[in-house]
Amino acid sequence: MRLGFNFTLGDTHEMVQRLIAERHIDYCEFLIDNFFCVEPDELAKAFDCPVGLHIMYSKFLEADRPTLVDFAARLRDYIDALNPIYVSDHILRFSHEGRAFFHLGEVDYSTEYELVRDKVLQWQDLVGQRIHFENYPSIMDGGVEAPAFFERLTEETGAGVLFDASNAVCSNRNCGTPFEAWRNVIAGAKHFHVAGYRQSLIEPFISLDTHAEALAPDTLAFLEKFRSVFDKPGATMTYERDDQIEFDDIVADLKLLRNLFGQPEERRHDLALSA
Amino acid sequence: MTSLSLPSRTDRDLYPALMSPELCASYPAHHKAFVRIDVSLRVYWHTLFDICPELLELSGPDGMSIFRPFMAWAGEKKLAFDWSYYLWVYVWPRQSPFKERLLADRKYLRSIMGASAARWAVLDRGRDCGIVIGCVDTTDIVIGWKCRSVLLGREIELIEPEEPLPAPPDIFGYFTLPTFELDIFPGWQGLAR
Repeated sequence: MRLGFNFTLGDTHEMVQRLIAERHIDYCEFLIDNFFCVEPDELAKAFDCPVGLHIMYSKFLEADRPTLVDFAARLRDYIDALNPIYVSDHILRFSHEGRAFFHLGEVDYSTEYELVRDKVLQWQDLVGQRIHFENYPSIMDGGVEAPAFFERLTEETGAGVLFDASNAVCSNRNCGTPFEAWRNVIAGAKHFHVAGYRQSLIEPFISLDTHAEALAPDTLAFLEKFRSVFDKPGATMTYERDDQIEFDDIVADLKLLRNLFGQPEERRHDLALSA
Repeated sequence: MTSLSLPSRTDRDLYPALMSPELCASYPAHHKAFVRIDVSLRVYWHTLFDICPELLELSGPDGMSIFRPFMAWAGEKKLAFDWSYYLWVYVWPRQSPFKERLLADRKYLRSIMGASAARWAVLDRGRDCGIVIGCVDTTDIVIGWKCRSVLLGREIELIEPEEPLPAPPDIFGYFTLPTFELDIFPGWQGLAR
């Protein structure tokens, strides 16, 4: 399992350089559309390591075709210059009736499958490559339908899943989505996210994907139990931290992940224990 | 957990309430749907007051005397809550009991224009590099620049031009810049709702 860190803006550039130099991470994940005004060649030289490209605001479920054509063309320049390990995006709702959510919305897996499938096919076609789509940290009970939705989506579109382990933990805590329900999705995925979460301020407490805390014990337990399903040749896991960015705290979590998965070149996947 | 007559199985069932304190109140407290909506509303609150804390001087420390009526007004106007979110927060109190205090100190306007310029630089995914925001209440302009280097973040500039630009026809106007130079004035565009 290669470990990575999310790079969203220049203020963490020095820290990411240090994480690479001290071999806490093996690659870096750019939140690529934050850098659409930076020359692709500059981005390609930013870090001496492989990169992943994570898209935040394509809004491919909602944007019109000319907007997506233009977005895809610019994204393509970065894909060509950076030769990323993967390209990933989100299945999310950014607005309702033209009004923007500030806390993004989850799709309705039971009624919107065909719409999402068709949009995923169109979006991959425009970008010109396979895209890995991230699962949502479900709150409401409809979230239990997510694993089957993603399984079907990957089968019918050829898309991948960027499986966010801590989002699955939130979904388990909030609406009871069993970890076991994700087994086939995890087995078919090669690219993963993990981060901290926190509780809501009022009861009944719900768990919120915040990227601002240390990895929770139940997240680590989930990774450990399903370690051999996660780990596979070419697998990556990006540790996300967007707030409370303290080098020592991040390194402490990365060491936990390293201890769990081992140095990537040292792992022997054919001997991995089954979960 | 409290039983609920309103649909609340999926996030989608709650979409209209996620930006409406009024609709939130129709869900029983201690129900997960209420907490989900509360989480969403808190993000609107923090997006406003964490970035423009000066507004709390007008409203009081919980911000609610601005936040609740503004969100209700925004719902009636069907505001898009795009990058101009903060500018509309300024438009609304100009019609409210806060008007006199709001206009008495330019720090509120500067904070609000800077916040909106930054939000454009964060959220816009078009090809333009910068945005210029002007207001009829000042000759100053605020520019928001997108990230132009892997070593930098977004940048916000307040400019007091020696030769002021014409005032926008509405309270606020804006134009975007196709390069990282302020070398054009194509005229003001009005805010879209």
